[in-house]
Amino acid sequence: MQLKYDYIIVGSGATGAIAAHALVEAGVNVAVLDVGVEDEKYKEIIPNKDFISIRKEDDNQKKYFLGNDFEGIPWQTSKVGSQLTPPRNFLTQLSKKFIPFESDSFSPMESMAKGGLGGGWGLGCYEFSKPELDAIGLKESEMLKAYEAVASHIGISGDKDDAAPYTLRDLKNVMPVSDLEQNLNGIFSSYKNQKNSLNKKGIYVGRTPLAVLTKDRENRRAIQYKDMDLWSDKDKSGYRSWMTIEQLSSNSNFTYHKNCLVIKFREQENGVDVIVKRTDTNEEQIFTCKKLILSPGVLGTARIVIRSFDYKKEQLPVICNPYCYIPCFQWRMLGKEIEQRKTGFGQLMLFLDEDKTNFDVGLAALYSYRSLLLFKLIKESPLNYSDSRILMQYMQSSFTIAGVHHPEKSSATKFIRMKQNVETFTGDILTGQYILSDQELQTNENREKKIKSALKTLGCQPIKTIYTPHGGSIHYAGTLPFSDNGEKFSIHPNGKLAGTKNVFVADGSGFNYLPAKGLTFTLMANAYNVAKNVLKNE
Amino acid sequence: MESKSTAIYEAEQIGHYLLSIPIHDSEKNTYIDAMQKLNIPFSNYEQALWNSMLKSKFKMACIDAGLALKDPNNNARRKLFTMLAILEASPNYTQYFLSRNFSFFYLFKIGAVGIRAVLRAMIGILIVNNIKRKCS
Repeated sequence: MQLKYDYIIVGSGATGAIAAHALVEAGVNVAVLDVGVEDEKYKEIIPNKDFISIRKEDDNQKKYFLGNDFEGIPWQTSKVGSQLTPPRNFLTQLSKKFIPFESDSFSPMESMAKGGLGGGWGLGCYEFSKPELDAIGLKESEMLKAYEAVASHIGISGDKDDAAPYTLRDLKNVMPVSDLEQNLNGIFSSYKNQKNSLNKKGIYVGRTPLAVLTKDRENRRAIQYKDMDLWSDKDKSGYRSWMTIEQLSSNSNFTYHKNCLVIKFREQENGVDVIVKRTDTNEEQIFTCKKLILSPGVLGTARIVIRSFDYKKEQLPVICNPYCYIPCFQWRMLGKEIEQRKTGFGQLMLFLDEDKTNFDVGLAALYSYRSLLLFKLIKESPLNYSDSRILMQYMQSSFTIAGVHHPEKSSATKFIRMKQNVETFTGDILTGQYILSDQELQTNENREKKIKSALKTLGCQPIKTIYTPHGGSIHYAGTLPFSDNGEKFSIHPNGKLAGTKNVFVADGSGFNYLPAKGLTFTLMANAYNVAKNVLKNE
Repeated sequence: MESKSTAIYEAEQIGHYLLSIPIHDSEKNTYIDAMQKLNIPFSNYEQALWNSMLKSKFKMACIDAGLALKDPNNNARRKLFTMLAILEASPNYTQYFLSRNFSFFYLFKIGAVGIRAVLRAMIGILIVNNIKRKCS
C-alpha cells in the first residue's frame, strides 16, 4: 500500500471533499484518510419512487422507515441525533467507539461516515455578510470568490428575494429556485401582503437557497419532488460530500484510504508524518506527506492537534449555535391534502435583523411535516393514541416546524477538554462543558419571542418551544481561533496551524463567531481557500 | 417476552384499539419481532396497567388517555406506540395515516373525537390512580 503522498487530507466531509477537489483539479497528488462508514443496510432496499407511492405499495417499507431493529421508533429521546432516520443512522455509527465524548452539558454529533456530517446536511446555503465574516476572521474579498467556486461545484438553487442580503447576496452561480410547497407558500403569501410592516420590525422572509439541483447535471438529476430526501439520495439532486469523493476516485492523482483514524502528526524536516490507527485491524500505520490538511471537523481536529502538541494544552474553547424548534399551526391548511410533489428540505426562511446591520441576525428555517411519518407527531399529543391519530391525520397538513438558530460567540464557560483514558481506542477521551450566561439566555429568549410574534402575524400559531441539548444545532467551531500572532493552538487566517510549517486546517476550527445561518457553505468556501493557500505555500 | 400466542393476542387487541379494524398477520408478526428486539421492561405497576388494558378496548383507550396526561413515557404506552408505528409503515393501512381533503362536515367528527378523548382521559386518570394505589 502506498503511504507517501504530496498532500494528505484528513476527513471526507464537507470541507475535506472541497479541499480535495481543489487540489486534485490543480493536478497534485492527493490522499484522503478517513474511517469511511457507509450505509450497508438500507440504501439498496429503498425504491426510487415518491413517498406516497412507496407508502401505498411497498411491503418492505417498515424495514427502512422503522429500521431492522426498530431504531426508527423513538422513545424518550431528545438526544442529539435522534432526528436521524434509520437510513441516515450510519452517519453517527462507530463514533462512540472510536471518538467518545463525555459531557453533561454538551452533546455534539460527530461522524465517521464517508462524506461526514454532510450526509445529513439540510442543504441550506448562505453567504455570510461582511460584518459576519469580519467577526469570524475571514476576508470578504477572498470569500466571495470562493463562494462562487463552491457554488459552481455543488450546484445551488435559490431566488433573489427579500432574504437575499442574508442568503445569496450577489452570488452568480445560482440555478432557478425549486417549486414552493403549499404549506410554506401560504406563509410566504402572507408575508408578501404584510411586508412593509414586518420589514419595519426587521423581519424578512425569503426562499432558502439549497444545494439542490433544479436542472440535470452530469450524473445528478434535477429535484423530482419525491419527498424522500430525508431517507435516500437516489437521484443525487441534493449535494452530498461523498459525491465529490466518488467523482474524484476516478482520477489517477487521488486516493481514498478507508478505515484510517488519524491519531496525530509529527513534523519532519521536509514534510509531515501522519500517525494512523486502523479501525479494522487496530494496527498503527505511518503515512508521510509534504503538506497535511486537517478537516475531520472541529472536535476531530482538536483531538489530533492536542495529541500532536503532546497535550501541552488540554482545554480549548468551542462554540455551537443554540437551537430550538417550534411546532406551529396554520389554520388555513386545516383538513387539506398534502400535495404529492414536495420536498423534505426547508424551503423558506425568516430572518430577524432589528438593527438592520446584517449581524447577530436570528433565523427560523421553516419546514412542513410529512415524510417523517405521523406516529412521531401523534406521540407529542397529550391525548390517547387512537383519538390522536384521527385528529392528527386531519391536522397534519397544518403543521409547520420552525427551527430557530441563534448567533453565538465564545466564552469561558464553553470549552472542550482532553483527558487521558487507557480504556478508549485512542487512549484519551474528549469531554466538555457548554453553559450560556444569563444574559445570553435572555437575549435568545427575547429573539425567540420576536420570531414567534412574527410567525403569528404570518398565520402560524406557535404551539410550544422544544429545546435541544447544546450541540443540537450540529454547528461547531472556534476550537483553534484564527489569529495572526503565531501562538500555538491557533490558526493563521490563511489556514496554517500556528507552530507548524506544513500543517493546515480546512474546517471551522478557526471561526471566532457563528452567525445563526447555517455555516456549511462558508466552511466549504473556506476549505477551498485553504487548499489554494496550501498550493501557494509550496 | 411472553409466549407467541400472548403476543399475537396483544397485537390483535392493540391493532383493534388503534384503528378499530382487525389487523393482518404480517403486522402481528412484525409486532412479535419488535417486542423480542425491543424487550420493553415492565415494573409491577406497568404490568398491572397492561393487564388491565388488555381486558377491553374501552379500558385500553381510557388508560392510554390517562397515562398520556399523567405519565406519557410509561412503558405500557410504548407497546401501543410501537404498534402504531408498525401499522403506519404498512401499505395495508396507509389511508389511516396520510392526509386527505376532508369535507367541512368532518369537523363534527373531529369535535366528537375531541370530546371522547377528554372523557376517556378523565376516566383513565381514575383507573390509573386506582391501579397505582393498589400497586404501592
